[in-house]
Amino acid sequence: MHKLRLKFSKTGPIKFVGHLDIMRYFQKAIRRAEVDIKYSEGFSPHQLLSFAQPLSVGATSDGEYLDMTVNSMVSTTDVMNRLNSVMNEGITILAVEELDEHSAKAMTDTYAAKYVLSFRPNSKPDFDWIAEMEKYLSGDKLPAMKKTKSGMKEIDMKPMIFAHEFDEKEQTGTFLLSMSSLETLKPTLLFGAFFESIGKEFSTSSLNIHRVDIYKLVDNGDRRYIEPFITNDMNERFYLNG
Amino acid sequence: MNYNLALSDEILLDLEKPERYIGNEVNSVTKDKNAVDIRFAMCFPDVYEIGMSHLGIQILYGMFNSYDDVWCERVYSPWVDADKTFREKDIPLFALESQDPIKGFDFLGFTIQYEMCYTNILQILDLSKIPLLSKDRTWDDPIVIGGGPCTYNAEPIADFFDIFYIGEGETKYRELFDLYKKCKKENMSRIDFLHECAKISGIYVPAFYDVQYKEDGTIASMKPIYDDIPSVIKKEMCLALSETFYPTKPVVPYIKITQDRVVLEIMRGCIRGCRFCQAGQLYKPLREKDVNHLKELALEALKNTGYEEISLSSLSSSDYSKLPELIDFLIKNCSEKKVNISLPSLRIDAFSLDVMSKVQDVKKSSLTFAPEAGTQRMRNVINKGLTEEDILRGSHEAFLGGWNKVKLYFMLGLPTETDEDIYGIGDIANKVAVEYFETVPKEKRNGRTIDIVASTSFFVPKPFTPFQWARMNTKEEFLDKANKTRKGIMSQLNQKHIKYNWHEADASMMEGVLARGDRKLCKVILKAYEKGCIFDAWGEYFKFDTWMETFEECGVDPFFYTTRERKDDEIFPWDILNCGVTKEFLLREWKNALAGNKSFNCRQSCLGCGAASYGVGVCKEGRTNA
Repeated sequence: MHKLRLKFSKTGPIKFVGHLDIMRYFQKAIRRAEVDIKYSEGFSPHQLLSFAQPLSVGATSDGEYLDMTVNSMVSTTDVMNRLNSVMNEGITILAVEELDEHSAKAMTDTYAAKYVLSFRPNSKPDFDWIAEMEKYLSGDKLPAMKKTKSGMKEIDMKPMIFAHEFDEKEQTGTFLLSMSSLETLKPTLLFGAFFESIGKEFSTSSLNIHRVDIYKLVDNGDRRYIEPFITNDMNERFYLNG
Repeated sequence: MNYNLALSDEILLDLEKPERYIGNEVNSVTKDKNAVDIRFAMCFPDVYEIGMSHLGIQILYGMFNSYDDVWCERVYSPWVDADKTFREKDIPLFALESQDPIKGFDFLGFTIQYEMCYTNILQILDLSKIPLLSKDRTWDDPIVIGGGPCTYNAEPIADFFDIFYIGEGETKYRELFDLYKKCKKENMSRIDFLHECAKISGIYVPAFYDVQYKEDGTIASMKPIYDDIPSVIKKEMCLALSETFYPTKPVVPYIKITQDRVVLEIMRGCIRGCRFCQAGQLYKPLREKDVNHLKELALEALKNTGYEEISLSSLSSSDYSKLPELIDFLIKNCSEKKVNISLPSLRIDAFSLDVMSKVQDVKKSSLTFAPEAGTQRMRNVINKGLTEEDILRGSHEAFLGGWNKVKLYFMLGLPTETDEDIYGIGDIANKVAVEYFETVPKEKRNGRTIDIVASTSFFVPKPFTPFQWARMNTKEEFLDKANKTRKGIMSQLNQKHIKYNWHEADASMMEGVLARGDRKLCKVILKAYEKGCIFDAWGEYFKFDTWMETFEECGVDPFFYTTRERKDDEIFPWDILNCGVTKEFLLREWKNALAGNKSFNCRQSCLGCGAASYGVGVCKEGRTNA
């Protein structure tokens, strides 16, 4: 038995396929690829498969994750090749890593996500949104109303934004935002609050969301940092509290 | 993958289910449009989830795309949200694969599976900017062709189609495509092309047939306007099913659809001559597929799709002679792969219960019986072989096996029906409950009890059945009968274990009008569409009052088609077609029905229906007993 973590991309028209349908898509792809996945026990067995975080409909990504358990395999590369040979073009398995048998599910370890955000071609704002947003983000507090199970609640988004950076030429903003079981900041909430602060109307479908990667927390006692779930690049590390 | 979608991201994100419009599903076919001669848009005129569940389209889609010179794409009815957006923003309807406008295609094909989709056909044409009437079309428009069960009386929609293809699609499309290429090359006029089409067997070009009516509104004659086209169009039929194309790479949708599984068609046709059933007559004779061929198809399709379920498809699976062998094979192969097997249309007996206990969770699944009528007399009239004894014996064995949910299906409004037949529905349901209590002693019920659902639908007489002469009930009669059924059930001792469902009477009446309608209905359908009728098959969108208003405005009496008594020698709108069984046979069966006489099934004895002229299938088998 092997526990595997897969990293995949989601681009093109497939971005309109919702989270539950992507799960169903993978279940079928795994069967087509004849990967020896482990099934749960019981009368209606299901594949042992779990996704790190749902991606909203219409968003693209280069860093989605899912964990699966297989009974047997030739190698992680073989699993990757098998899956890629039956995948639709919009989804590509980028990496497969074998996990320690006792490691937690990706969903539990998720801490942050990096996004590149811009506006869709037909929905460009009629003002210099980058300049306005720089100003907005420099505030001490960034209050927003967030829908929770117990109704609307005011939150401060400031500590949930780990980093941000704008590209004037491309008219994009890159954001490293909180995404964990404790607190999650969605790009649409941030942009909604920003637009409201300058008295503009915001439509969620205007925002072009691209998730670059999903980050986990690494706590080495003295140094806490976050890094993508699967990475070999030290530069991807982002140190928390200095 | 086609990255150039017809709809912008913003529009797609505002739609309820954008996945209906983006194409790019697993196994969908993309070709170089410049490298093909014929572009075919195949349409099921209902929402994506329904249309994608249809086997016929998957067969033709796969077959057409196996031709190098043809690219077949799919299109479905845009749901009401998309319909509104497309009209507001003036977006022409497009095919899913290329995302190109339908208007530029060579063919637009409709599979017409039920009468209540007729206004959706007009929606598709309208959104594609194709003239709704065949006579207004030019070479700038695709050839609009219809197929499927409703084309066996396509007269109510005759004005909207250039061509109807009568019968099974596997046989004549290649010939039609070759003719199309030839005519295009020779710069032939559209009408000359259609004239050539009309000479192909099974092809019906309605504009070339002139209909004369008698004073009483019935048909006096239907005659071809050219000497060189047939006066009767004979249905096309596949003579060698096991050698014919069958899709092992069906398109796999992203979203959940109605029939979300591999569908394995095991045979076509039915030996059982139930007199209300149209499919039973249209697909005669019964033709079985080779069992080894089916085994290969099943494994291939599962491998190519990754589906977790496979379903056997036919009108009456229990009549497939190699069923035990096929099911054994599937159980053996599927359990390793954790693939479920679903077996609809199985007769409940020891064999099927044994199989079902292996492939289903007994606690969750239910038994289905379709006695269709409440008394043996009524069942003899409709020639439904199932007896009360069959039902009680099947139930008994099933209760022993642990089942406790039973579904019973009946029809109301059958010819010669009396109150006794209606109250008989409650009696049967009650007897099933009694059977449960007698079979399963209290200490073995473990807190469970019997759970019966009885459902009735209203009988709609269909063309090419012995009941094509029958008078259909009015809405009031139907509702009165449903009420009596309900009272009959309520008066039973075990009534608290029986749930009763019945259908809408308004929709049944409309279906009745359209099913046996003539060309005078074309203008009614057109006008109803213009007044906003669409998705009539969906209760929440069906506008009965608008339809009735439209009949009145058009001066057409809907009851002419439903409640009128028809004489034995009346010329029906569909007599222009030969569906394989003769009118003499159907009339004989109608008389047998009225006399309460049962008939043999095809394996017991040949009734001389006419289908033997195809020289295949059960007509060539030796009889088991006479």
